[in-house]
Amino acid sequence: MEFIDSHILTILILMPVAGAMFLALLDPGKHEAIRRTALVVALLTFVFSLHLVIHFVPHEAGFQFEENSPWVPAFGMNYHLGIDGISLWLVLLTTFLTSVSVLASWKGIEKRVKEFFIFILLLEAGMVGVFASLDLFLFYVFWEVMLVPMYFLIGIWGHGRRIYAAVKFIIYTAVGSAFMLVAILSLYFLNAHATGAPTFDFTTILDNIVNGRLVIEPRIQVWLFLAFFLSFAIKVPLFPLHTWLPDAHTEAPTAGSVLLAGVLLKMGTYGLLRFNIQLFPDATQTFTPLIVALAIIGIIYGALVAMVQPDLKRLVAYSSVSHLGFVVLGIFVFNIQGVEGAVYQMLNHGISTGALFLIVGMIYERRHTREISEFGGLATPMPVLATIFLIITLSSIGLPLLNGFVGEFLILVGTFGAAVARAKLYCTLAASGVILGAVYMLWMYQRVIFGEVTHDVNKTLPDLSAREKWVLVPMVVMALWMGIYPQFFLRKMDASVSKLLNAPRVMMVRK
Amino acid sequence: MTLPQVPILPILPELILTLFGIAVMLFDPFTAKPHKSWLSSLAFIGVLAALAGNVLLLAAEGEYYNGMIIVDSFSVFFNFLFLIIAGLSILASRQYLVREGVNHSEYYGLLLFATVGMCFMGGANELIMIFIGLEITSISTYVLAGFRRTDLKSNEAAIKYFLLGSFATAFLLYGIALMYGATHTTHLSQISSALLTGRIDLRLVLAGTALMMVGFSFKVATAPFQIWTPDVYEGAPIPVTGWMSVGPKAAGFAAFLRVFFVALPALDQKWFWVLWVSSVLTMTIGNTAAMLQSNIKRMLAYSSIAHAGYILVAFAALTPNGIASIMFYLLAYSVMNLGAFAVISAWSLSGERRVTIDEFAGLGYRQPWLAAAFTVFLLGLTGIPLTAGFTGKFFMFRAAINSKLYWLTIIALLNSAASLYYYLRPTIAMYMREPGESGRTSAPQDSAPLQISMATKVVIAVSVLAVFYLGLFPSTILDFAQSSAFLVH
Amino acid sequence: MVPLNYFLILAAILFCLGVIGFVMKRNLITMFMSIELMLNSVNLTFVAFSRHINVLSGQIFVFFVMVIAAAEAAVGLAIIVAFYRNRESLNVDEVDRMKL
Repeated sequence: MEFIDSHILTILILMPVAGAMFLALLDPGKHEAIRRTALVVALLTFVFSLHLVIHFVPHEAGFQFEENSPWVPAFGMNYHLGIDGISLWLVLLTTFLTSVSVLASWKGIEKRVKEFFIFILLLEAGMVGVFASLDLFLFYVFWEVMLVPMYFLIGIWGHGRRIYAAVKFIIYTAVGSAFMLVAILSLYFLNAHATGAPTFDFTTILDNIVNGRLVIEPRIQVWLFLAFFLSFAIKVPLFPLHTWLPDAHTEAPTAGSVLLAGVLLKMGTYGLLRFNIQLFPDATQTFTPLIVALAIIGIIYGALVAMVQPDLKRLVAYSSVSHLGFVVLGIFVFNIQGVEGAVYQMLNHGISTGALFLIVGMIYERRHTREISEFGGLATPMPVLATIFLIITLSSIGLPLLNGFVGEFLILVGTFGAAVARAKLYCTLAASGVILGAVYMLWMYQRVIFGEVTHDVNKTLPDLSAREKWVLVPMVVMALWMGIYPQFFLRKMDASVSKLLNAPRVMMVRK
Repeated sequence: MTLPQVPILPILPELILTLFGIAVMLFDPFTAKPHKSWLSSLAFIGVLAALAGNVLLLAAEGEYYNGMIIVDSFSVFFNFLFLIIAGLSILASRQYLVREGVNHSEYYGLLLFATVGMCFMGGANELIMIFIGLEITSISTYVLAGFRRTDLKSNEAAIKYFLLGSFATAFLLYGIALMYGATHTTHLSQISSALLTGRIDLRLVLAGTALMMVGFSFKVATAPFQIWTPDVYEGAPIPVTGWMSVGPKAAGFAAFLRVFFVALPALDQKWFWVLWVSSVLTMTIGNTAAMLQSNIKRMLAYSSIAHAGYILVAFAALTPNGIASIMFYLLAYSVMNLGAFAVISAWSLSGERRVTIDEFAGLGYRQPWLAAAFTVFLLGLTGIPLTAGFTGKFFMFRAAINSKLYWLTIIALLNSAASLYYYLRPTIAMYMREPGESGRTSAPQDSAPLQISMATKVVIAVSVLAVFYLGLFPSTILDFAQSSAFLVH
Repeated sequence: MVPLNYFLILAAILFCLGVIGFVMKRNLITMFMSIELMLNSVNLTFVAFSRHINVLSGQIFVFFVMVIAAAEAAVGLAIIVAFYRNRESLNVDEVDRMKL
């Protein structure tokens, strides 16, 4: 137990890698064995990640389960892992969604089965690594390296213009991270010159900033902030950098879309929260109005574009742009409701949008089309699917007692009370986004599920299989749980969020 | 009159290589055709022996032969690099030479002689010595480039390399002559101190520097003197291309670094901007042109131009850290590129067919391990983390940022991101397309099962391991490179 | 005594002639001869400097250069012969199997 306690994060990263290596040795023809192995590895990783929840100390604001050993001592690079109340839940979300994705890919993936699950597991390792890294270099390593499995997932198992989407995805993100790398190096040298101790360690650099040992001129902060921001904003994606997202989401296989929307997008918002705000408070102050404006444009733009999409998957993809706008808004209002709402909304979005992609995937597996006009009246042949679809749709809209409500409500409250000019206007605009969200989601639901069965092929569609129920029920349970008893989740992030907001420099931004 | 005692230790690796090279060529006439392969084993043993000899050098640091040769950790590092390159190239060539029907043992002899020249370039402490080392390397390489002598493309590669290479050498030599005239010496450290006295004709020195720079730029293929590279790399036999893209290039950089940092530090502000501009041009031209290629050898040729551009970024940092990162990167680049060429050579068919990117279609499922290795090399060349290419680039850009070269680094990183576009193309063909999807009908022998010799497999496996080792645990090599870089600076 | 500059200027002119010949001529052998001319102009420079500063080393370098030029000539001509056998031409414009 001792060993598990002190190395749990490494275990979470290495277990999928080991699983992937084991899969690589299996006979590619034995699909069933490969699927089962992958599922076992994913579930085992998930079970181990529960260890984090159980042993996490709620009132402690600092990082827990830390591991720190030198990697390249000459240049101050460390293998430093650790999580706080914010990353805790994102790690959990990752392991949970990976398990679900593996189970959801049972039937849909028929060619190159072995490679598919190898890439899913490698992706999981990379995602956990991003959320657990406390060293800027290590963070960058994970950030970049998980592009590769995602690229292959989209490119090999995607639909339609998959190659275009995959290349667009990877180049877009790589361009963003190019700037981040320059910023990381500049920050490293600024810190080294100020303190004489070269290190990429995030906590050390942050301490130096908080204690005033490292003072970065506002003019330089602006550049560094922009460099980090660009790469995170592409990932989020924040309007107007979102153009890669509809392509990638639409063409990706179901599991890819789930993980892309559920986890990868969160890395952008996580990065803004973890790095931009804390490291560059002065620049944050300068850019807050701009970012809030972009977030609100994103909320409304995403919703409006989603409304007119004829393709189910594209609709869900654009709804992500809208939802993630909420998250960014919540982060940049700098109060406890806003930020907690933002973190909560990240998790919600992972569950709801993940489930939506799963449902769309299941429909697609049956009909091989995603055009909304091809459907109608699916409630008759598929009552179970219709019910679950309804719950998830409502959760995505933000109906009380479902998870989406808590997050959006907190963000709106936070925005309303924010110490920025025109807070009430922002709040109103964002709230209109909620209404638009309800419109396009319900309209979509109505067109797909209600009414007469307009196409004869749809009459005989089989309802959910037992496996598919196993995929969706956990999502529904989570949606309900997070909607009814949010305290369970919020309690663990309270201390970390307050610490983040009460750091003396960030306080200044809050005025 | 008695002859002076001549120590042999300082040039032990070179001597061993020369002896084995001569032995390989001497034994050739006495070996029946089917048994020629043992000569390549002999050459490989020679490389191993030279590696052992190189270890002894570590204990013999100092200047020898009137200061013509220097043994320091910089030269020892490069000797290791050249010998590793030679060893991997010998193994990677065996199957290819038999398949193409050119299994003549001169090939291995020339490879060893070229390596001798490269080792001299790394250990030279004097301009004429550098010139001699460079010529030993070049002359052997001219022949190797044209080794498939009945093939027009190979002839053409040899002719182009020979003409442009000797043309560039003449510039280098003229630069050396002018430098000699200005400073009255060709010893690097004496040049440096002569420059510091200030009692010399600066015009001659600047003209000499410029001419030498032209010569070196040709050898390492940086803009605007990179034009020969694509044709030569495309036409030369596959293993030779792989070897040329790393070996002589690394040797060129070794000499380039030593000349400029030991002899000419007094002028560094003068050549800084030349390096800056050349770096931007080299990266951008290399990457842009690589995107347009359909032949994989030609694509990697342009990409190797781009890599020389990245190296110039660290060069322009003008710091020991920059030198160390270049050394590390040359090693990283060598294993990645040799591995990639070994894969290409394994996949191609006799007569150098099946070398376009589209023709890699389906490799991913016919030869999953080969394709996975190729993917690792390509990702490494792009600079994806956990590979040698990433750590190498990271150290170089770190050095550049340390010298406040923000724009240059950003240009380099954007170039690097753009290079994803073409490095990923083979992966698209290998994994995302079915064979024949590109509209080509494949001939029957194309789908015959692939025979990959043990030697090729070893090369690929060693390269993959090295790519990950340097990507995950760079410290050991990096520390060694750093300690030697400080000596040079 | 003839001043140093005369030699240097002569050498520079020869070198430039070599460069011009290399760029303008289309015959492989002539191009090769132009390179030899360039190398010899360098030899002249070396000797002139060596004489001027009264150090012997420059003249020794010339021997190195000559030996290497000879080796280069041997290899270069062999390559040109191999090309000629395949193509039956010495025109550099026909070295055109590979294009950008």
